[in-house]
Amino acid sequence: MKPVPFAHSRPAKLTEISSALDADNAKLIAGGQSLGPMLNLRLARPSTLIGLSHLTELRSVRLDGATLFIGAGVTHAQIEDGDSDVDLPPMLRHVARNIAYRAVRNKGTLGGSLAHADPAADWVTAMTVLDAVLVIANGREKKRREPMSGFMEGAYRTKLQPGEIIVGVEISAAMGEAHWGYEKICRKVGEFADAIGAIVIHPGLQYARVVAGATEGPPILLNDIARAIARTAKRPALEEIDAALAAHLPGADRVKRQLLKTALSRAIAKVIP
Amino acid sequence: MNAPVASATSMQTVCLTVNGRSETVTVEPRTQLADILREHLDLTATHLGCEQGVCGACTVMVDGKPTRSCLMFAASCEGATVETIEGYKGDNLMDRLRVAFRTNHALQCGFCTPGMLATARDLVERLEEPDEMRIRHELSGNLCRCTGYVGIVAAIAQVIDERKALGIAATGKPRSPRPETTGFSPFEAAISDRPAAANVSSGTVTIENGWSVVKREVNLRHSPTMVWKHFSDLEAVAECLPGATLSEHDDSTFAGHIGVAFGPIAAKFEGEGTYNTDNESRAGTVAGRGKDRGGQSAVEGELSYIIRPASGDPQASIVDVRLRFRIQGMLGQFNRPELVNGFVDYILGEFVANCDSVLSGGEVRESRGISPFAIIRAMVGGRLKSLFRWN
Repeated sequence: MKPVPFAHSRPAKLTEISSALDADNAKLIAGGQSLGPMLNLRLARPSTLIGLSHLTELRSVRLDGATLFIGAGVTHAQIEDGDSDVDLPPMLRHVARNIAYRAVRNKGTLGGSLAHADPAADWVTAMTVLDAVLVIANGREKKRREPMSGFMEGAYRTKLQPGEIIVGVEISAAMGEAHWGYEKICRKVGEFADAIGAIVIHPGLQYARVVAGATEGPPILLNDIARAIARTAKRPALEEIDAALAAHLPGADRVKRQLLKTALSRAIAKVIP
Repeated sequence: MNAPVASATSMQTVCLTVNGRSETVTVEPRTQLADILREHLDLTATHLGCEQGVCGACTVMVDGKPTRSCLMFAASCEGATVETIEGYKGDNLMDRLRVAFRTNHALQCGFCTPGMLATARDLVERLEEPDEMRIRHELSGNLCRCTGYVGIVAAIAQVIDERKALGIAATGKPRSPRPETTGFSPFEAAISDRPAAANVSSGTVTIENGWSVVKREVNLRHSPTMVWKHFSDLEAVAECLPGATLSEHDDSTFAGHIGVAFGPIAAKFEGEGTYNTDNESRAGTVAGRGKDRGGQSAVEGELSYIIRPASGDPQASIVDVRLRFRIQGMLGQFNRPELVNGFVDYILGEFVANCDSVLSGGEVRESRGISPFAIIRAMVGGRLKSLFRWN
């Protein structure tokens, strides 16, 4: 099927985006790999698309002191290939290479995926477990920062306000040396994830985080599990993971919980031999 | 060049290079690259399958990278260099792939082949070794319903070997193997727990004979008498549902519409239905169906509810809600049942907060302008609405 008619502008500068967004029923489009299908299915029927993929200012990857900044317009394929002057945390490259398909990764962007906020998307969970901070601009005022954990409010719902755009993501550069595990379960390679389990441990930073993703809403932080793993350096019993999931997702069916439990235990096994 | 177009219907002129030739086309902004190729440049070897980025049939090379031509709209094609299967003139690797596909029986009907070859060309260039698992993994974005992939994988592996024999290096970045896990010494993690989310979902979503069934328990801080009174005023209740408008109702039927914006998804469902309520048991049922004309989707469903006192608090009520629905058309194709739970939670949360506010003598809160899944909303909306309208 074909999309409804729309206008498609491509502002030359980031600062022009906000005024372009004032247009009635306007929608930002970056790589278009999630919005494109919704347009073609006519689930999304914007009057105006505002293209971002040509903006080089959204594509920088750099080290600001101890902080790694990845521009919102960086594609999954660039991260997969480590195609930047700065070394990317190995976990990011691992996550990127398992997002959808190469043809999709060549266009789809980090910022687009985070703004779209599909619960099954990889970056939503990966950036939460890495304690990333989003840099958000609205073109008029100064940039603001929003921690990834808490940014997503529900499926397709985030703390982005009208006129705002994600400029990039900040991650502690030390995360490059963290112990990490990231496992996702899909029915077919490249399909939407049925379950994601992620863990990042950095003893030097006293950092431990365990996240269950691809749920009905935002990624879930399993802090008690993370604390216990750090304190004991041992894998938790499956029953403990299951109990933590049951507490956070009382409405989830047994299959979902089993998948999440499996993804989490596989991820944890990557960190603790 | 990339100037904004004045209106949705105005045409856009796009310059791009296709198979080495400079082309200029004037098209609607919504035109996909695939249609620019097929309809405007008569390059019909690029096939359109799903138009959702899943099947891979439309994959072409854009600036040297395999790209879904169904997901690239006209404005993004400006200045692009595109290679389709009609091209690749004098391309050594593609020539070898064409031969290898033929000799390995890597195609039967041929529908997937143009996209398959674009992906294969990229793999042959990038992959260091003809590792079968890796090739199969990378091919997951190109569906073939004839061959079972055996011949395709063999053809790609063969040409990777040929490339190596020719002494051409792979362009892909090598993947460093993951170091063995060493474990770590115990430490005390600095974790600050944020306050738990206010509403933990307490409902269930199941699929029964193709219908989604949502069961939920909603708490209201008002007496059952008050809640029932509110629920029996259809108009008052409709007002508590963001985006809902009741156009007409009598004592057993209703009609109206509800606008929904869920992320990028927007829908306006117009529908009608019936309802009945039982004053004795404070229970009701609403059934209805609605259509989203713009999106060519339809939803039908049935909502039943019963209001009971909360134990230990005469000033509190519990509403047990059961919603059974199914979606057809485009939204149905998009159906992601696992997201339903969150949506319903969110909708009910908004609705309950509004009911709370009104029952406490206030007004309907200002809507955040985001309301959830069209369908559910329509269902819950339609239903709850009508629920409320017993008088």
